[in-house]
Amino acid sequence: MADQRKSWRDRGLMLATLPVSALMLFFFLVPLGLTAALSFQSTKYYRVVWSWDTGTWIDVFTHGHYWSIMLQTITMALACVALCIIISLPVAYALVNRMRSVENHVKVLIVFAFLTDAVLKTFGWVLFLDRTGVMNGMLETIGFGPAATDILFNPGATLLGMVYNLLPYTIFTIYLSLARIDRDLVLAAYDAGASRLRTFWEVTLPLSRPGVIAGGVLVFVLSLGVFLESKVMGGGTSPMAAELIRQTFETRVNWPLGAALTLVVIAIGVLTLGGAGALFLHLNSRKGTA
Amino acid sequence: MNEKTPIIDARSIDKFYGGYQALKQVSLSVHAGEFVALVGPSGCGKTSLLKILAGFEDLSGGSLTIDGHDMVGVPSSARPTRMVFQKLALFPHRTVHQNIAFPLKLARRPKEEIDRRVGEMMELMHLRAAYATRYPAQLSGGEQQRVALARSMVSQPSVLLLDEPLSALDVKLKKSLQAEIKRLHRTVGTSFVHVTHDLEEAMMLADRICVMRAGRILQTGAPSDIYFRPVNGFVAGFIGETNLLPTRIERPAGGLRFEAPGLSCAEPVLGTDQAAEGLEAGEAALMIRPEMIVLSKNAADDGECVMEGRVEEFFIKGASIQYRVNVPGVEAAVVAEVPGTSQPPADVGDNVRLSFARADLFVLHRD
Amino acid sequence: MTRDRLEGHLANIVLYGSVAGVLVFFYIPILTLILFSFSESRFLSFPIEALSLRWYGELFAANDFWPALRNSAVLASVSTVFATMFGIGGAIAWIRWRFRFQRFFQGLTFAPLLFPQLLLGVVMLLWFSVLGSWLDFSPGLWSAIIGHVVYITPFALVIIAVQVHGFDDTLEDAARDAGANRWQVFREITLPLIWPGVFSAAIFAFLLSWGNFYITYSLAGTARTLPTFVFSGIAVGSSPIYPALATLSFVPALLLVGLADVFRRRAAARRAAPPKSE
Repeated sequence: MADQRKSWRDRGLMLATLPVSALMLFFFLVPLGLTAALSFQSTKYYRVVWSWDTGTWIDVFTHGHYWSIMLQTITMALACVALCIIISLPVAYALVNRMRSVENHVKVLIVFAFLTDAVLKTFGWVLFLDRTGVMNGMLETIGFGPAATDILFNPGATLLGMVYNLLPYTIFTIYLSLARIDRDLVLAAYDAGASRLRTFWEVTLPLSRPGVIAGGVLVFVLSLGVFLESKVMGGGTSPMAAELIRQTFETRVNWPLGAALTLVVIAIGVLTLGGAGALFLHLNSRKGTA
Repeated sequence: MNEKTPIIDARSIDKFYGGYQALKQVSLSVHAGEFVALVGPSGCGKTSLLKILAGFEDLSGGSLTIDGHDMVGVPSSARPTRMVFQKLALFPHRTVHQNIAFPLKLARRPKEEIDRRVGEMMELMHLRAAYATRYPAQLSGGEQQRVALARSMVSQPSVLLLDEPLSALDVKLKKSLQAEIKRLHRTVGTSFVHVTHDLEEAMMLADRICVMRAGRILQTGAPSDIYFRPVNGFVAGFIGETNLLPTRIERPAGGLRFEAPGLSCAEPVLGTDQAAEGLEAGEAALMIRPEMIVLSKNAADDGECVMEGRVEEFFIKGASIQYRVNVPGVEAAVVAEVPGTSQPPADVGDNVRLSFARADLFVLHRD
Repeated sequence: MTRDRLEGHLANIVLYGSVAGVLVFFYIPILTLILFSFSESRFLSFPIEALSLRWYGELFAANDFWPALRNSAVLASVSTVFATMFGIGGAIAWIRWRFRFQRFFQGLTFAPLLFPQLLLGVVMLLWFSVLGSWLDFSPGLWSAIIGHVVYITPFALVIIAVQVHGFDDTLEDAARDAGANRWQVFREITLPLIWPGVFSAAIFAFLLSWGNFYITYSLAGTARTLPTFVFSGIAVGSSPIYPALATLSFVPALLLVGLADVFRRRAAARRAAPPKSE
């Protein structure tokens, strides 16, 4: 009953889908195709030459430098995913199970922080963590002396910024999957004599897996494009793929190479998504036979 | 009953969903002011028929006129019908007043008229005037039902279509709303077409009942016809419990001769009016309603027809006691419903006689 | 039993602690900015010696500030209108309808959500540059608007889809039955019922656009919005006008999120039954 079959002659369907499809086709899919095409061109005196060759790709695959940056980006992204999930699990669990009364206020606070301008927040972190910032100031007043600790301008600071900006994604996906768990399952586990910790481990955690996977994948893919954090907080100490791409376009003005590197990052993201999708199907099929 | 041209005239309607045929050559006519119930088990096509009448579904074949106008291709918004939905479909974001006023507002009636009509409808449905500003979620189940009825009736449709609106209610509320619907029908004089899977409800409310099964109408008739003169075993079994004895009939001139194992009648002949239409000689079923049977342990207490057997089980239902009796030669236990007393007339294992008048027998198709 | 109790206490500490910790974490940079915006000093260092509104004055006097504010407002408003409209149609088509090429439609309208913003911006910039060299124009605020709509529409769509999910079709049937045409059904029934989702989506869209850096940075050409204005500023060296700007730019977000909460509560109050007067 809920499914209404629509034919493409239906005006409502056309109105609802055609404009947005046209937008996405023309300004998302076509640009992607163009990027792919550009990666097969070469460049001369900062201008693109339509040469249709694989020179750029050979360049990409033979330079270890690019790949070490990709590897570093992936490492940072994985670290970011791990931290986001570890932090989000207790938060989401508490929101669902312990804080019904203030749940909405907490959610509004998180959404508000999430929607605030990322540049400003990153700048705020710099002010907080700087040599002469709030943190060192406070440490000094409680007697840690003037030994200003350098927290900024290292890969750790970049990671802090990434976790800060991406954490809301995992909190909300895990929250949604936890909120859908039937409370009776948890009670059944208690009833069977399981302790709280064991119940969490054996019932809640496995059932929250869709949210964990979805949130993790989302954070991973979005981490691949980070450059604000690495530039402003990391101080360029941890070159990330996005920074490399930006430089290739802006400083080196090598569009084919920039396009190729962009496609490499997109490919990593798509492969991750595909892998997660396969994992999902695998888990579901196991559930089916059980 | 009105013998003029019918308000609804549906002829030989077919309805296909993909390869599945939901309605097969269904014909139905409803007269002005008549209350017709469509009854049948789920999947019998009764709801499909109602949706075709309302204009939510197209018909695949056949013809449909309502109020003398051809309805093929006419959208529901332009039909003189209104529907009461199974789940009521009250608009949760509108108050009771706004819900009831909605059809009038769409018809651009002046505000005074809308307010007056809504007030009248609320009064007619016994809704307190103070409820006008409430939202549906703030009403009880019964009140919501009455708002839904008021919304459907406010623009004075020629036909009201009811899609099992009472099926989700508890028994007590159901009874009171059945009375309410009956009263509404008497007051307004609109034709009602009521879909239900509850034949008892249909018998209480309707002037005429259509029993449907697997996309076909099996029988259309007054409630007493459906109950006492069912066309076949399916219709007979659809309400309450009944006894169907396998039988053979012959048609010698002057009457219908029957013989059934386990049953002995002084004169095994029935009048021609005691048989379902179109019945040929051969295999058939003999129906006797449980409440027509007299049960006794006394051999001398004879009726025109008699069966003998042993009590398998009995249930005290309050107003009556139901006996299940094993009769040699009859496969299913024979059910007899006797008036309730503090002393059940027989116990499990007792040998009993079941007797009844020959006039209470009815022969019908086997199926 | 005592072990269970201990476990329970420990769990509570971890759970409540994590929520409190995360909230503190989220608000550290925000509060730091607000704090520094009221500092007297030219240098952004702690502890703050004196409070003043001096830097707000300096900010209003800055040449680049007003165009950036105007650009941000235009960009966010226009993007919100388009993303929300596309989101409504898309969500209904996603959830309630079945049609040919639906999978393709769903993939196409969801994919930008899975793209890092910078890459989305870069890919579109390449396209705009090619288009620009063909048709002789250069990217500006309008190309940033297109970029924002592409990026934000999936968010709006998902938020509205959550509201559309569980929509009772018979309500629309009932409206049709009462004599409503397609447009009336949409305006009187469908839209009011999905309104909470549409409203949240619009607020979300506005704020995503208002605070967006990456896409604006890639696509706006020479046009500056508040985020790119700040970025170009702090890239050169931090100035005390930026905390003041940050504090000011929180205001619309705060107002909108507060407004959304008020609406949500009002809608919830309507659904909840008052004590029955029977």
